[in-house]
Amino acid sequence: MSSWRSRSRQSNSSRISEEQINDLVSKLQMILPETRIRNNDRVSSARVLQETCNYIKSLHREVDDLSERLAELLETTDMTSSQAAIIRSLLM
Amino acid sequence: MEAESSTSNQQRKRKRSASESSEKPAQFTWRTDKEHRLYSSKLLEALRRVRSGSGSPRTDPPRSRAVREAADRALAISARGRTRWSRAILSNRSIKLKSNRIRVPCPARPKRAELERIHSADQEKKKSVVLQSKAKVLGRLVPGCKKLSFPTLLEEASDYIKALEMQVKAMSALTEILSMIGGGTEGAPGNGMLQEGVASAGAGAGTSTGTGTDSIPPPA
Repeated sequence: MSSWRSRSRQSNSSRISEEQINDLVSKLQMILPETRIRNNDRVSSARVLQETCNYIKSLHREVDDLSERLAELLETTDMTSSQAAIIRSLLM
Repeated sequence: MEAESSTSNQQRKRKRSASESSEKPAQFTWRTDKEHRLYSSKLLEALRRVRSGSGSPRTDPPRSRAVREAADRALAISARGRTRWSRAILSNRSIKLKSNRIRVPCPARPKRAELERIHSADQEKKKSVVLQSKAKVLGRLVPGCKKLSFPTLLEEASDYIKALEMQVKAMSALTEILSMIGGGTEGAPGNGMLQEGVASAGAGAGTSTGTGTDSIPPPA
């Protein structure tokens, strides 16, 4: 089903210039921890997109794990407002 | 943007925000300390609400999901409405839940089929088909970005990643602190002082606020 849609989208996307896409992809590349270390020119756009998806997935997983741990910790920890203030100052 | 070869986190944070603010003054950066502080406070407040909201004992999965949602919501609020993903989080929170997770594994197959169908096309088209399918996957990962144009999607994704990194950092810092307070048997004597300080603040004494260097008996 999406091949037709992608074809029409191709004619649309060609209006968005290659340069613009490459520029954005290189910006994304600077953010990703893996591709930033490597040489800039050698990484293809598809690779960058793949890395982006993988990175977002791993970040989601980390957040989920942290949420679980925090949920357990919150159950066992009592927290008054003064304690919360201390914790907040420690976080900074 | 060129001199990004520094290794320490702090330096990278400063350089990144400096170069970004010089190139694009309108571009918001997630990496400043100020944003981190703001997010941490919001996170703490949201988590306290989660805690006080569900007083009765419940099974863990709903609780951790509540924590995750509170953290995401706090993150989205910190974005102050500039980005689509943040607005999508805030508006879709009640609807989203599990349905999104089930849908994710699907798109791997259609990509191959698409490539084979456009077998006769030139390199250019093939390349953009691959990009399109990957962009679709990406659009599913970033909330609220399924039908965006390619450039917008990339921009949203880069902002989302930076925000997620900050979220991870804030949540791990909070986890560390809470585990030091609650756990008590982990490692350094510094924990004992911290525990004493926070515990006495909770009891209302309020004199030692965690920075005390007095002789406090180590935890038994």
